[in-house]
Amino acid sequence: MTSTLPAVTTAKVPAQRRPVPGTGAHRRAEPPKRLRSSRPDLLLCGVLLVAILVVQGWNIADYPALSDDEGTYLAQAWSVQQGNGLAHYTYWYDHPPLGWIQIAVLTWIPALISPESMTVGTMRAAMLVISGISAVLVYVLGRRLALPRWAAALGMVFFGLSPLSVVLQREIFLDNLAVMWTLLAFTLAASPSRHLWHHFGAGMAAATAVLTKETMLIVLPALFLTMWRHSHKDTRKFALTGAVTACALIGFAYPLFALLKGELLPGAGHVSLWDGVKYQMTRPGSGFILDQGSGSWGVLQSWLYYDKILPLGGLAGALLLLVTWRWSVTARALAGPALAVAIFDALALRPNGYLPAMYVIQALPFLALVLAGGTASVAHAVLSRWRSEAEKRYVSAGRYALAAALALAAGAYVVPHWYDGARTAVTTDANAPYKAASQWLATEVENPERTRVLVDDALWLDLVHQGYRPGLGVIWFYKADLDPAVTKTMPRGWKDLDYVVASPTVRRDAADLPNVKAAMEHSAPVATFGTGEDRIEIRQIQTSAGGAR
Amino acid sequence: MLTSVFIAAVSLALFWMAAFTLWWQMHAWRTPEVLASTRFSSPDGDEHVSFSLLLPARHEQAVLDHTIQRLLESSHTDFEIIVIVGHDDPETTAVAEQAAARDPRVRVVVDTHEKKNKPKAMNTALPHCRGDVVGVFDAEDQVHPELLAHVDHAFRTTGADVVQGGVQLINFHSSWYSLRNCLEYFFWFRSRLHLHAQKGFIPLGGNTVFVRTDVLREAEGWDPNCLAEDCDLGVRLSSVGKKVVVAYDSDMVTREETPGSLMSLLKQRTRWNQGFLQVYRKKDWKQLPTLGQRLLARYTLMTPFMQAFTGLIIPLNVAIALFLDVPVGVAFITFLPAVTALVTFVFEIVGLHDFGKQYGLRVRFAHYLKLVVGGPFYQVLLAGAAVRAVWREQRGRNDWELTTHVGAHLGETTVTRQDVPVTREDVPA
Repeated sequence: MTSTLPAVTTAKVPAQRRPVPGTGAHRRAEPPKRLRSSRPDLLLCGVLLVAILVVQGWNIADYPALSDDEGTYLAQAWSVQQGNGLAHYTYWYDHPPLGWIQIAVLTWIPALISPESMTVGTMRAAMLVISGISAVLVYVLGRRLALPRWAAALGMVFFGLSPLSVVLQREIFLDNLAVMWTLLAFTLAASPSRHLWHHFGAGMAAATAVLTKETMLIVLPALFLTMWRHSHKDTRKFALTGAVTACALIGFAYPLFALLKGELLPGAGHVSLWDGVKYQMTRPGSGFILDQGSGSWGVLQSWLYYDKILPLGGLAGALLLLVTWRWSVTARALAGPALAVAIFDALALRPNGYLPAMYVIQALPFLALVLAGGTASVAHAVLSRWRSEAEKRYVSAGRYALAAALALAAGAYVVPHWYDGARTAVTTDANAPYKAASQWLATEVENPERTRVLVDDALWLDLVHQGYRPGLGVIWFYKADLDPAVTKTMPRGWKDLDYVVASPTVRRDAADLPNVKAAMEHSAPVATFGTGEDRIEIRQIQTSAGGAR
Repeated sequence: MLTSVFIAAVSLALFWMAAFTLWWQMHAWRTPEVLASTRFSSPDGDEHVSFSLLLPARHEQAVLDHTIQRLLESSHTDFEIIVIVGHDDPETTAVAEQAAARDPRVRVVVDTHEKKNKPKAMNTALPHCRGDVVGVFDAEDQVHPELLAHVDHAFRTTGADVVQGGVQLINFHSSWYSLRNCLEYFFWFRSRLHLHAQKGFIPLGGNTVFVRTDVLREAEGWDPNCLAEDCDLGVRLSSVGKKVVVAYDSDMVTREETPGSLMSLLKQRTRWNQGFLQVYRKKDWKQLPTLGQRLLARYTLMTPFMQAFTGLIIPLNVAIALFLDVPVGVAFITFLPAVTALVTFVFEIVGLHDFGKQYGLRVRFAHYLKLVVGGPFYQVLLAGAAVRAVWREQRGRNDWELTTHVGAHLGETTVTRQDVPVTREDVPA
């Protein structure tokens, strides 16, 4: 029998648990060692998870309106499943492919059982898995960052039930997957056992997040800070170097992939990672976010339309935590998420940066955590700060009264808003026009396999399942102008097409796409679904003779 | 297609090997608690164990006296030093006799074997040991005066049969290979050995090892025909369930020096590898109770050879991935062993930093650079030693190739042994 010091005379010697010299620099409230075996934690987290899944899952296919990007990623996932490579058009390094590879894996079995189910509306259900995991991770991370049980639960509620979250997390966005991996990385970074391989794993998860959606790069400093704070000084250098190495090595897999395919650097006749990155870095700015009338302002308004509490409250929470850094244990424990929020805000406030609509998704868990942390901080200030044993009873009563009043006021403001949001989410049918258009194209067109039609990405898979030829028969509308492999098959331009399905996206982007524009101009609606801005027209191409091609 | 499958299989095997090795190498730093548990616990001032310290010395008259003096400075009150000298080595014998005349705690035992080696020398001294515990040191070792008190405490509080203290090569600045050699010791004694102790299979080190005298006699001492008698003893003792305790404290380690030349390092490594092979073939490890332990034993004893293999395959793999037309997926897999090698590299750099911190040594940028650049060359050296070991074992050559020491670790009081006969390095035909 052998063992390390000191001896343990059991048959199997467990690793020693000798007390470790304290870190001194920052004492943190001791997080629970084993969440898994804590009944109240499991129960609370489980109940909230069910609530979140119900609100997010109910009516998921019909609300919100199908987005072009969802169609893009799901179609590329479909292509991966079909064994056609990373995309059914040339993969041009617009994003790292890991995101839709995961979607492909996630939807693999349902797609095997029923190939027709591989459409945006149906496969949104897969996102419930991601949302569920992320929500649980928010809770676990909250607990590991020393939040009390109620505050961690509050964070989970903010993250999962804010109307903004409900809308965005339902959609098949790479950002949602990246958020899950980032949360996993933070959770591992804050591992109470401070295990070297947990930190290594955090680095791997972070790299996966970045390869899922490259913009996650910007939260890495906040992750590093979290890891620094949660590692012990005796093992810190190994833990942090391990994490950084793991992250970098996995991250390098992407350029390596490009290198192996001979597409790292630009060259004649092929796409390249270099060009992809250049495209993303030089996207035209959308103006200053606080400048009314700019594109960024519009994006901000579109977030605030769904929910003001989480984005603005989270921001306030982050500010509160940063200001009270010196006095508040909670503020120091939540340094990582607060820094993440600060980074997100700083980047959103660039004078003329490009602000995509999905930007806020990545910030949601951090906003939720700092808002919960800020709330916990306020609660602590009201209930316990400067409280002594000998405090007069009326002062104590005053504390509780104040806390109750604050809670009631916050509830009175939040609950009705969020109730409305949730009701809209579970009752509205925003996709009826899409479904009707898909139905029309399935039944009214005689020869789908020989018909060429421009559609936006969201409808593309529907038509593929209805017998249209993927890629050159049913065509992502912008490929008619931007992909040489597609334009080559249209020597006569719009005259080589049969239909254009003019959804709001197509109408919006046609202005910059000559072929699509021409097709729109030389076509007439044969069926229209919906009304006003959101209507979907099926337009048949008219030859000069006046009839269909 | 067949090439792809073959390459992928080899790469995956290498990856898992390297990953396991890395996992074990980093054992001590897994959590702060594990790190804290690798240290000696502080002695309580009580002393109950008496020591017989064996000091085999061969043509080591230059350093021997210094080592004896330092050992005599130990704070422990109950120990004897038994210097073992050869009958054909009058210079060393003279130094030993002088020391014995000065202090009654020192005794001299003369080894009269025709062909000499360390295990035979120690077996010669074993019947003369009066202490409860036999400790082994080498003639050039710098032993900390508090070490015996700590070992005493460890024996009493853990009920151990064997206590292995830390050994550390210190002269990392001497050359590019001594840098890597020091770091190997650092990872082995600081980290990996603790894992072995925990798992119940341990190849012991050559010195700063303490065994209960009765246990050692029961095991009939050291195997005189084994080139790695230290490893063999550990394997035999742990295989029959003896309790081994390992402790490492940077201020309590026995300081040593790296071999003085690349050639002697190669010879030393060849001897160890061949010794490991012999221990493997003796099959004592098969008595280990669990499959996991037997696998660990098998793996550990074969490590030098796998290491050699890995060193050759990794560059080949990368070349295949870059220049041959294999599918991208397979090409990715071929990079996996390189990835683990890189992670190991990075941890070595951090280890070097930690080593410098622990021992208060200034590690400069040039040293890190040497560590990185020297890596592949050291790998070649290891591979060479592995091949050489197999070759010698096949030819049945199992004599000792000894290592010379120049006293580089002794710092101020450097004693250079230029007087050591060159023949000592030579491999007898």
